[in-house]
Order: sequence, then structure tokens, then C-alpha cells
Amino acid sequence: MSRRRALHLTAGLALVVIVAGGVLLSYAWLPFAPDDTSGGRLAPPGGDHLLGTDKLGRDLFTQLLIGGRIAIGTALGAVAVGGVVGVTAGLLAGFATRWLDDAAAVMLDILIAFPTLLLAMLIVAGTGASLGTAVVAIGLAMAAVVARLTRVLVKQVLARDYITAARVAGISWPRIVLDHVLPNIAPTVLVNLALQAGLAVLAEASLSYLGLGTPPPNASWGRMLYEAQATVLTAPAGALAPGIALVALVVGVNLTADGLRSEKGSR
Amino acid sequence: MTRYLLRRTAILLGSLFLAAVALFVLLRLLPGDPANALLPVGATPEQIEAARRELGTDASLPAQFLTWLGDVFTLDLGSSLISHLPVGPEIAARLPVTIPLTLAAFILAVLVAVPVGALAAIRADRWYGPVINAIAQLGIAVPAFWVGLLLITTFALRLGWLPAGGFPPDGWDDPAAAAEALVLPVVTVALVMAASLIRYVRSSTLDVLNADYLRTARSLGASRSQAMWRHGLRNAAVPVIAVLAMELATTFLGAVVVESVFALPGLGGMLVKGISQHDYPVIQGVMLVSTATVLVVGFLGDLCQRLVDPRLLHREAS
Amino acid sequence: MKRLIASLAALALAGTLAACGGGDDDSTTGGGPAETIQIGSVYEPQNLDNTAGGGQGVTEALNGNVYEGLFKLTDAGEVEPLLAKDDKVSDDGLTYTITLQPDVKFHSGKALTSADVKESIERVTAANSKSARKSYFEVIKEIATPDDSTVVFTLKSRSISFVYNLSYIWVVNTAAGDLTTTADGTGPYRLGEWKRGSTLSLTRFDGYWGTPATNAGVVFHYFTDATALNNALLTNAVDVVTGEQSPDALAQFAGNDAYQVNNGQSTTKLLLAFNDKAAPFDKVAVRQAVSQAIDDKKLLTSIWGEYGTLIGSMVPPSDPWYEDLTAVNAYNIENAKALLAGAGFPNGFTFTLDTPSYDPHPTAATFIKSELAKVGITVNINTITADEWYTKVYQKRDFTATLQEHVNDRDVVWYGNPDFYWGYDNPKVTDLVNSAERAKTADEQTTLLKQANAIIADEAASDWLYLYPQIVVASSKLSGYPVNGLNAQFFAYGITKN
Repeated sequence: MSRRRALHLTAGLALVVIVAGGVLLSYAWLPFAPDDTSGGRLAPPGGDHLLGTDKLGRDLFTQLLIGGRIAIGTALGAVAVGGVVGVTAGLLAGFATRWLDDAAAVMLDILIAFPTLLLAMLIVAGTGASLGTAVVAIGLAMAAVVARLTRVLVKQVLARDYITAARVAGISWPRIVLDHVLPNIAPTVLVNLALQAGLAVLAEASLSYLGLGTPPPNASWGRMLYEAQATVLTAPAGALAPGIALVALVVGVNLTADGLRSEKGSR
Repeated sequence: MTRYLLRRTAILLGSLFLAAVALFVLLRLLPGDPANALLPVGATPEQIEAARRELGTDASLPAQFLTWLGDVFTLDLGSSLISHLPVGPEIAARLPVTIPLTLAAFILAVLVAVPVGALAAIRADRWYGPVINAIAQLGIAVPAFWVGLLLITTFALRLGWLPAGGFPPDGWDDPAAAAEALVLPVVTVALVMAASLIRYVRSSTLDVLNADYLRTARSLGASRSQAMWRHGLRNAAVPVIAVLAMELATTFLGAVVVESVFALPGLGGMLVKGISQHDYPVIQGVMLVSTATVLVVGFLGDLCQRLVDPRLLHREAS
Repeated sequence: MKRLIASLAALALAGTLAACGGGDDDSTTGGGPAETIQIGSVYEPQNLDNTAGGGQGVTEALNGNVYEGLFKLTDAGEVEPLLAKDDKVSDDGLTYTITLQPDVKFHSGKALTSADVKESIERVTAANSKSARKSYFEVIKEIATPDDSTVVFTLKSRSISFVYNLSYIWVVNTAAGDLTTTADGTGPYRLGEWKRGSTLSLTRFDGYWGTPATNAGVVFHYFTDATALNNALLTNAVDVVTGEQSPDALAQFAGNDAYQVNNGQSTTKLLLAFNDKAAPFDKVAVRQAVSQAIDDKKLLTSIWGEYGTLIGSMVPPSDPWYEDLTAVNAYNIENAKALLAGAGFPNGFTFTLDTPSYDPHPTAATFIKSELAKVGITVNINTITADEWYTKVYQKRDFTATLQEHVNDRDVVWYGNPDFYWGYDNPKVTDLVNSAERAKTADEQTTLLKQANAIIADEAASDWLYLYPQIVVASSKLSGYPVNGLNAQFFAYGITKN
């Protein structure tokens, strides 16, 4: 493992651990109750309120910690949806006949042509804004990318000699998938999923910023940023803190994925 | 090449048709009735029924689809349910915002990312390699709307150098004002885009640098830069072209959020408003034009790739 | 220096993009009557017709500017004759004879006749009209046009608000084509160009029958959110904004000599509207308890800082029948708990609050949730779009409680209509509202509506959270702009810039 990769992995994991630690902490302890409005309108940072308060007098640091739950929840949820749907679709396409496979490839190309955000916007507009729909929508958009990658990888594995040997030996398809295909494609797919997790966090923030993501009173970082933009000159902490937290989490996830790529020795 | 061209064109046309069907079906799943957006508080049930008849939302779905598809083939995208203005001309009126924004941001991003990314790879041993890498890492993690917000705060509100948003009423008849209005949005989109491009350019260049033919060329006496220019560039370009095509398409649509941060009257704003008002003809029109653009750019990107590197064709044929 | 950098950046960009036509850079001319006024707003019209769902924005841009009525509601709230030169009411109050101003021309050049007035009113009462005012004119029995300059209305019953209601009706040239995309009125401006999503321009009409506009024209610039609107004013892209949407930028304007902040009269109320027909809010005590458990003052401060007004009922101070009822069902958390216990909910209950997704509703919902938690009531916030609100709440009445802003003045009369979406059904109030409309004098009308108002306030028919402030911020160079914006109208013809 190169020094650079090791550095990436260490720094990435450190950032993720900090954010995840804050989120775990929030379940055990919060500086203030989430809907405690006693702080006064837009109190400045310092004193009782580390980052100040929002318009309703709620503690910003508390909101930031709760927003972290949503960010990490989105990442995990979207990766679960995208991973399961994407890998399944990719496997099926990879094993399918030429004709079916071509059709699948075309469908995936079309799906990928819709950027994640727009696809999610359409789905959310159709089903109403909620965290659940946003996560599923982002996950489904992600599934197209994962499926395309899986399909290519599966085809590569299937072309190898030992698969042919296994088939000649009469080993069943499910066994081949479980014993040979999945273990071979897993490292690359997992690294890709980690990268997608970062994108999912960004997508949720953008949806919430447009008012299509997490509804109030839950404090999503994107929503916090939207609400803070009116007061960016008078109370900049509200616009800076969620942004910095968002960037830290995404950088952390991306660096970790980078580091893992070298761990499994590709490139 | 001809065989590839035929196959790729067929895929393009099929994709366009499927996208049109998918769009129509997806949109009809939206709850609510566009007739509602027209009615004020105080409307009677008779007024509501009359509005539905007028908009045609009381017809069956297949009937609505056939009507729409027929119109699309005659290049008629229908009229907005809300403003009653034809959708096609309105899209055309908004392209002078979205196309310059996309293209300028794309060009700026490429002009920054290609030299910087290549430099980061060729001089990976110097101090600026890791610095460039770190900045790129930050860039891909920053939401575009936040970059826009910070740029507005700094350059429009605090320093007063540039407008905070909006587009001049005279449009490009007042080129200085129009260009001024686009500076911050272009920089916003370009920054976010350049960050991801830098990474691709860097890794693609690294692959080439470690390739055998380059070592061979150098062992034959060519200098490092000569070898790079003669052999490296073309090989490094192939994967980058694919990424570029995809990025250009993404930017075209991804300008949605940035346009709304800067209050620009582009396609993004039209789409967001259409979605919130359930204005089917508007959503369909914008999405159809956008999707078609994305698919066509992807098609051209694939062709370019094969022109630059014909070996891809042989690999596929085999 | 900064100008230089901006120009360099702009030039560089212009070079990259396209080499477009002639560079007419001289957009900033001096003062004087040739000045065009730049107006910022968040209310872009949906279309240009106020009988086809044009929305609040079409009233703001066109009412009084492009279109005129027989009467107008002035910025001070008075009803004055406009296209009506003279009006006579018969003693029984059933016949209105109106003489039109002479020599009035539409922008197309066509002369105004009584037939245009008749057609304009029939447009509003037509079957496919989407006007909220439609039901107000069901009282008309017949419209006669004995000659080109006289209109005679015969009513089915006395209607004391008739002249006031006529101030909403635009006199249009119905032969002008599709009025959702074009306009032909008699006002001081003709429609210029409407660039959807961006700007709408009006230019001075030289053939105007009355006092001509004091400026060459106006351009409405539309923004999708309040922040972009304020930024435009801060960077001088617009001269005036028709209504501030949040107090946060006001500190910068208030402390700056370059801007004038005007705190005007507003008619927009934020309501926590209960479904008065459905449990648990069919019980008066429960509604009173919820009203008393919410600290309206604190909510107003959270959303509007030091601006805005508390109201105790649906009636804003600018209505003739206003009374200060803020003491009725005032904030009293102990009493709220007692009322709940008395109504059979000692441990509170849970309800869903349908909340429109746009500001300030989500903030208000969050606040209400935290307030009601203190008396044991759990609120589930259900965020919906404006469109869903219309379908679910307004049409299907499928809701327990909702938040909504109500814009118009004199709209307390909705509580006299048991079929309105909140389903408030008190025969006494219905009777008072109907009698008030048939009143012989304005005093009698006022007395009756005050009585109705006192009843709905006491029974907490809804919880009237607060009255929005109406804040117009303008460059100090500007004068002659309206500050009250009643019913969202914005007369631009008196604005000058020096």
C-alpha cells in the first residue's frame, strides 16, 4: 500500500469517525432539547449556545447534530437501496442472453441520462417530500450506475476459464454466483458504493435546499442552509456550520473509498 | 465504423422514444390536478369541473398520451396549463441563459482542469501535486448551491463587484449586463465541475505515464515532454472524452439548483416551477429537450472516442 | 477598481460566450420623467388574466396600472370612482346608475363604451370564470346599457358592498384576444413585454384619459425567494420591492440612508385553521385551548422580529369593522390545560397539521408543535404543496387542522358561509353576515359585522396567529410609491425617481 493511499484512508476514516461520533453522541446527549425555543431569535455564537440559535431560538449545535443523523441515515439507506437493486439488476443483465442484455444496457443508459437529482426530484414531486422518499429516490437513481458497473464486472468474470470449467463440471448457477462471481466483483462494487454514498449525502442536501427533501421540523443540513441564507450577513454561523459539516462528511467518505481501493490492490 | 454507427443510432432513437414514454407515465403518477393551481380560494365545485374540462385532464390517460405524442412529432410541445403560453417558444426563450451558462462553465472547467490535472500527475513528486489533489477532494464534496451562496455573499453583497442574481430584461441586447449576470453562476458551476474533472485527468494521465509505450519512447531518446506530447496525450484523451461528454450533459441539467440560487430565468427555473405547479406540458417539454440533449451529447461523445481511438471499434467487433 | 474587475470578468465572459450585437451599455440614464422604475417582487403572475387564475402577481402588476375598474380601492383603503364619472343609487338600494368618464380609450385605440363594462362583468360571472369574486356578483339581476356612456345595474337584494366589489372588476376590451397572454385596458400603462421567469415591463400610454404616469414605464423583476429579492435591492438591481418576505435584511436597509423602509397596512393573516366540523376541533373548548396554548407574540417575533401585528380575529385594522380582540383567548397555558381537561382530553391528543411547504408555514408549524407539546398535544407535521393543499384541504375537506395565509381584506364574511373549507357553522354568525350585506347604511353594516366578529373570536373558529407586516423598501431616490398594498395591488403610476 502506497503512503498516499494510507494517508487517504487514515484522514478519511478520521473525518467519518468524527461525524459519526457526533451522531452517536446525539442519541445519548444533546446540549438542548431539539424543539427547545428558549434561546431567543438568532442569538450569536458563544455562551450557552456554541454556534448560536436559529430564527425560532433553537440551539444550532443541537440542530447540527440531529442533521448528522439524517445525513448518515441517507447515505446508508440510499446505498442499501442502490446496492441491492443495482447489483441484482446488474447480475441479471450480466447473465442474460445477448438480446435481453442489449435491452438492459439501453435502459440503463437512459436511466443514467437522467441526473440523480432530477430523477429524485420527479419521484419526490410525485410522492410528496419526506426523508423516506428522498432516500428511496436517490437510491434508485444510484442503482442505475451500480447496475451498469456490476453488469460489466460480471461479464468479465464470466469470460474467465475457471467459470467455463465450473459450468462443464455441472455446478449450478446459484453456486457459481455465490462462490465465484460475487466474491470477485465485491471489492470494486463496494468501493463504488462508498463513493456513491458521498454523492447521496450531497443529493439529499440539494433536495432539501429546494424544499423537496426532509420536511420540518427535522433539521437536514440542506434545509438548515436554505433557512440560513436569508441571514448570511447577520448570522453567518448558520450558513457556515452545516456547510462545513457536509463537506467534512463527504470528503471523509470519498477519502476512505480511495484508500480502500488501494487496500484491495487494484491499479 | 458504419456498423457501429447504425447500431448506436438505433440505440439513440430507441432511447429517445423510451424516455418520452417514461416521462409521460412518471408525470401522470403525480397526485393533485393541475386545474387546482388555477383556482383561487373561494372557487365553487362547478368552477373546478369547468377548469378540468378546459385543461383536458378529464380525458383518459392513453388518449392524453396519443395526443401528446402526435404533437411532439409535429414539434408542438403544447401550451402551459397555467400561463397558456406555448412551451416550445418559452424553452427557446430560456436557452440563451442556460446554454451560455453551461458552455462557459464547461469551457472554463476544462481550461482549468486539464492543465492542473495533468500537472498533478506529471509532477506528483512536487509539493503542488498533493495540494491540487486536496483541493479537488474538497471541490467534489461541496454542494454547488453552497458555493453559490458563498460567492454571492463575498462578491456581490460584501464587495459589490457583481450582481447577486437575476438577468437583465434586455437579455443579450445588453451584452455587458448579461455577461456580468452570468459571471458568478458560471464560476459556481465550473468550480464544482473542475474538481471532478481534475481527478479524471490526473488518473488518466498517470495511467499513460506508467504505460509501456511511453517508457519505450523515452528509452529511445525522446525527452519526457516530447514523449508525452507525441504519444501520451492521445491515449490520455480517450477516457477523458467519455467523461467530458457525460459531464457536459450533467451540467446542462444540473444547472437547476444553481439557476435557482442566482434567480436566473433558465430551463432549471422553468422546470422547478413546472413541478411545483404540476404543469405537465412544461415539465414534459423541458425534460424531453434536456433528455434529448443528454442522449445526443452521449452519442457524439461515443463517436468522438472511436474517432480518436479506432482500436475501440475492433475490440467491440471481436 | 472593483468596477474594473467586474468589467474585465464580464468582458472575458462575453468573449467566451458569443460575439453578440451592438454594445448598448447606457442603461443607467439620469432622473426625470423619462425614468423607468425597476420593481422587485416574488409574485410573478401565472398568466395575465385575473379571472383565469392569474394569481396575486397579476393584480400587483396590472391592477390600476394596465386595467381600471369603475371604482378603485385606494392605497389608503377608500373606494373612489375611477371609470365611473358619476353613480346614483335608488332609494331601495336595488338600482345603480353609473355614467362613464368621457373620451376613455383602450390601449388598442378602441373607445370605451357601456357594452365593454357589461361584457367585463359577465366575464367574471361566466361559468368558466376562475375568479374568487364570482359569488359576490350573484346578486346582480340585470345589467342594462341604455346608451354608450350609461350602465344600469339592477340587484336582487340590497348589497352594501356592491360598489366596493366593483373595484375588483377590470374593464377590459373583450375583443382583444386571449387575455391570459395579452392585455388591452384603459390604464396609464400599456403592457410591454413579459419574459416568463424574469421580467414584465409596462410602458406609459400616451393616450391615457386621466393624469399621465409620472415615469416612462416600470419593469417588474421576479424572484423565486426573498433572499434573491433582497440581494437585488442591496446591489441596486431594483429600486423598490413590493413587499419584504422576511425581517432579516431589514436591519441593513433601516440603518442605511440610501434606503427607505416603509411599514404599511397589511391585510394578510396567518391562520391556524381548524376543521370545525371534525373531532376534536368540533368542540369549542378544544379550539379555545389550542388558541390559548400558543404564544402568538413569540411566534411573530420568531418570524418577523419586531415587525407585524397581533390580531385576535380575522379582521385587520384597515377594515371598517375592526376591533382589538387580542385579549380574547389570549396566551394562557394553565387555562388551556384546564379547558382540555374539561373537554375530555386531560392527557392531550394527537393531530396532523397540514402545512404548505413554502415560508412561513413550516417555521410556524415547528413552533406550534413545540408549544402544544407543553399541554400534552402531539402535532404531526404533514408538509404539502400548494396544489395538494387545494385538493386535500380546500376541496375534499380531508384535514384536521392546517396553516394558511389569507390575503384579502374584508374576508371575515367567509365565517358566515358554512360550506367554506373550515366548515364553521354558527347560524347566528351566518345571519349577521347576511344581514350586514343587506344593511342600509355603512354604520349598520359595521355594527353587525362587529357582532359576528366577536362571536367567532370567542369561539376560536380559527386561531389567527398574526397579521403580516407590509414592508415596502425603496431606494431613497424614489417617491410616490404605494406602501399599503391592500389586496396585493401596487399602483406604479405616481412613482418618480430623482
